[in-house]
Amino acid sequence: MTNRPLTHPAHPPAALPPPCPPSPPGQPPLPRTPVLCLQGITKRFGAVEALLDVSVQVHEGEVVGLVGDNAAGKSTLAKVIAGALQPDTGLIELGGEPVQIGSPSSAHALGIATVFQDLALCENLDVTANLFLGRELKRSGLMHDGQMEAHTRSVLHDLRANIPSIHTPLNQLSAGQRQAVAIARTLIGRPRLVVLDEPTSSLSVAQTAEVLTHIERLRDLGLGVIFISHNLTDVRAVADRIEVLRHGQNNGTFGPDAAQSDLIGAITGATRFGGLGG
Amino acid sequence: MTGIANVWELATRNMRQSGIAVAFVAIVALFSVLNSNFLSPGNITNIVLQYSYILILAIGMVLVIIGGHIDLSVGSLVALTGAVAAVVVIKGGQPWWVGVLAAIGVGLLAGAWQGFWVAYVGIPAFIVTLAGMLLFRGLTWVVLDSISLSPFGGTYYQIANGFQNGLLGGMGFDVFTLVIFAIAVVGYAVMQWRSRMAKLRYQQVVESLPLFVVKIVIVAAIVMWFAWQLAHSRGLPNVLILLAILIIGYSVIAQRSVFGRHIYAIGGNLHAAQLSGVKVKTVNFWVMANMGFLSAVAGIVYSSRMNGAQPGAGNMFELDAIAACFIGGAAVTGGVGRVTGAMIGGLIMAVMSNGMQLMGVDQSVQQVVKGLVLLLAVAFDVYNKKRAGVAR
Repeated sequence: MTNRPLTHPAHPPAALPPPCPPSPPGQPPLPRTPVLCLQGITKRFGAVEALLDVSVQVHEGEVVGLVGDNAAGKSTLAKVIAGALQPDTGLIELGGEPVQIGSPSSAHALGIATVFQDLALCENLDVTANLFLGRELKRSGLMHDGQMEAHTRSVLHDLRANIPSIHTPLNQLSAGQRQAVAIARTLIGRPRLVVLDEPTSSLSVAQTAEVLTHIERLRDLGLGVIFISHNLTDVRAVADRIEVLRHGQNNGTFGPDAAQSDLIGAITGATRFGGLGG
Repeated sequence: MTGIANVWELATRNMRQSGIAVAFVAIVALFSVLNSNFLSPGNITNIVLQYSYILILAIGMVLVIIGGHIDLSVGSLVALTGAVAAVVVIKGGQPWWVGVLAAIGVGLLAGAWQGFWVAYVGIPAFIVTLAGMLLFRGLTWVVLDSISLSPFGGTYYQIANGFQNGLLGGMGFDVFTLVIFAIAVVGYAVMQWRSRMAKLRYQQVVESLPLFVVKIVIVAAIVMWFAWQLAHSRGLPNVLILLAILIIGYSVIAQRSVFGRHIYAIGGNLHAAQLSGVKVKTVNFWVMANMGFLSAVAGIVYSSRMNGAQPGAGNMFELDAIAACFIGGAAVTGGVGRVTGAMIGGLIMAVMSNGMQLMGVDQSVQQVVKGLVLLLAVAFDVYNKKRAGVAR
């Protein structure tokens, strides 16, 4: 990790985006420090601008809903935060420090945990094994099962996750329970920020409700949460603030009580660049 | 959620494992009724000796299968390592342990060779080991110059044919054998007790105390009866000691080590394992290299038992070892299986072969029966999985 801000080599230093303001525009000033602050993120794939000058902030104990139509740039932004993609220009600040997120493992080291759309879980292993996969606790060369199990219990308890036994192999769990395991897995590394990419997209109504509860628990634990979805109902249920992306650009910031028609207008492009709500 | 599990819960929790154990007991019971000689001390010793090399191969093979691979070359490698040992000991006149080291070195080298192609070049193990099967068989002919070598004699012969007997004396039975088994039983009981205490401390479900005691007593009774049979025959076979060390060691590796956990993860979901930071290439390499090592151990035991090396040795051993794993509950798709399961699977094959031989069943019928048992065992596995899928 370096303290050098990310810049495109072609850009003169004067083109640096402004540093993060103390509180997001159009919002009452928040006393907490922003966990993550993205300023002027641009990502091009050839001639396509997947992200153009996107700015997003997340505070401790805040759920930011990131909504937008298909191909609006939501997943690209998630990958940038997770370190899977490098932005061409833009500034990423983590807890006030400018950082470079060079790879998924450095994102993990920085305290950023991501749950991707296709859950990276081993269905043949039990809940504990999945939570600690790749970072097993050891004692005299062998796995420290007792400690891993105790930790798993406490994390699942923190999430209020309803999982029958931590010894259940994942192929015996429901889709919603697996999503809970995936979210619980992020908590093992003691993250500051959790990015959830479409966590409710393939779930039943009851399972969605459970996952939304887990997201609220993450907020109550004081983490910053980015909740990416194109289901407005789910986002409005838990988000403290809703950021709309359209064609890879910011297209409005809304409060959770914003009118549905305003949100849809911003998503579809009927309204542009409005700070209409909240 | 602390609680007491009842018998039914215990049985269903590990349905596949207990199903195979029940099948094993049923087969043993069937043959002991059909043939009074089946459970005689001599015959029990015989079963252990006759199938020990298949069991040794199955230990390595189950790890390979859990990792989602297969190894078709182990039969040829058994022949090659045995041939190398024979050349060193019989032709070269070296002491027995030089032969053993040479065989293990060749086995590790062959395993590392296959591991390199599987892990770092990314060629499916099926292809790599199919090539290895031809390659190692050809090398065996070269090493032996197309003729059989025998006899080993001396200490090398004793590896698979010797017994630890009379070390503590005894009146018509070997006290040493009984003492060793008694120590094993006490060790087993202590380990079970400690694991039960640890489970209680972490508030996990355990069986009730009487049930726990009954379980220990039954296991102890069966083991001590087996020891009694051995003690009345020729004592403790060296091969059985070797087998016990390998089974315990590899069970610990599979169930308790990070390496073992990562083999299961790779076989279960390769993509997830990679994303989680599992060093997939290193693990795959060592799984294949380890199979080479165990093939060498099996090669030593087999050549010692045969008291010589033949170019055609170990033919079809790979299929017996693979069958043992699948009968013992390993999944064809990888990610599922246990060392103990593969051992029971191997013993089922061993007991069936031996039992049918004693009854004078024709060789062709034996093959038919073994084939059907393999098919039924995997069918049972598929059926169980489908049921679990529906219940989800």
